[in-house]
Amino acid sequence: MCNACGYPAAPGPWTEAGAATPGDRLRTRFHRVAVLNRILRPYGLSADDGGWVPGLQLGRLTGERVLVGDLGALWQEAERFLGHPIDPLDPRYLDD
Amino acid sequence: MAIRSIRWTPDIWMTRPDGRLRLTLLGGALGSGKTTWARHQLHLARFGRSVHVLVNEAAETPIDDQLLTGAQGVTVLAGGCACCTGRAALMASLRELCNRRSSGGALQPDRVLLETSGLADPGAIVRAIQADPVLLHHILLDEVIVAVDALHALAQLRDEPLCRRQIAAADRMILTKADVAPPAALNILRATLRQENGHAATEACAFGETLPLPPLPPEAIAVKLPDPDAADCRGPPVTASLRLPAGLDWSDTLLWLSALLHARGDEIVRVKGVLRTPAGRILLQSVCKVVQQPEILPDTAKARADDVLVVIGRGFRGAELDRSIRRFLGGAP
Repeated sequence: MCNACGYPAAPGPWTEAGAATPGDRLRTRFHRVAVLNRILRPYGLSADDGGWVPGLQLGRLTGERVLVGDLGALWQEAERFLGHPIDPLDPRYLDD
Repeated sequence: MAIRSIRWTPDIWMTRPDGRLRLTLLGGALGSGKTTWARHQLHLARFGRSVHVLVNEAAETPIDDQLLTGAQGVTVLAGGCACCTGRAALMASLRELCNRRSSGGALQPDRVLLETSGLADPGAIVRAIQADPVLLHHILLDEVIVAVDALHALAQLRDEPLCRRQIAAADRMILTKADVAPPAALNILRATLRQENGHAATEACAFGETLPLPPLPPEAIAVKLPDPDAADCRGPPVTASLRLPAGLDWSDTLLWLSALLHARGDEIVRVKGVLRTPAGRILLQSVCKVVQQPEILPDTAKARADDVLVVIGRGFRGAELDRSIRRFLGGAP
């Protein structure tokens, strides 16, 4: 944990696992934010990753932006914005 | 430099498996034969020689001295179930064991066998450990073993929602007292257990000695269990194997899984699987919303089960998962 800012408070987001080199990690972050934007756009949300600061920014059409530390926090904030969670088993993904 | 490397060094996120204290959880209903089984396994050194045993008794009970043979040390956590009232004592004991390892004394356990009280929900203990910022880095949950009383488990499953939670959390189920259970009743129990928890391995034993278990005959019918509460009214949990679509990036799988567990964490009881990543094969496992720190597995020839996720829970059909992961990541409106 960073002594100055206390980030990250909870160690080890499991969603960061798997990248072996710094290059992999950076590539993964940019790839991930592209996929996230594809998912979030229909909900009127967007994600942004500065690349060097930790975490992601989640924004909505009103201009409100929040900094989220990991994907778990991102889904939580998205639920707060929308009033319901983004559910991968939602009929919109399952129905024809 | 220091701060930057803290954020980005994967070793901080994923402590190598050899650095962490292995934890085996042994659960099961009261009187289901946990201690008998554990004593015999310790005698045979199935858990290795440097194993520390933590015994949680909901009531104050003197411990069997024979349990000590084969174990490096025994700690009794009496007077309070470790998943609720005795949780602080359990956490303190685990921290003490981690400290002992870090400080390099003579008795350094490699493994902890935690025998829970019959009233404990193993899932609650796993969640408590994962929520602890220290233990998270020092403890690796190896296996959840649940002792199942071959004589009484059917009645317990029918009456006790707790018993079903214990079964649902198991990686391995030990059918105790299997020598005295009628074969027909044993088959019904096995079919019922498979309905409740399709992924756990099943073993039979008598007084801790493993008994051969014949394959389950197809005519064995599972007992229909009553609904413990409204949330479970969709029947027994579904066990689905999701083979990840070819060409799918591993990080996309984690993305989908994180969304799924956020939205459906109360219904999806367990996820387990091995993913191929640039860092190697990583083992993913979750209990409810909690995902354990992924562990890097050695590369082996037996990689056929890679990129398959086993998902256990309610509120979905197995075939929907494949559709969900494809359409969700594609951003279907």
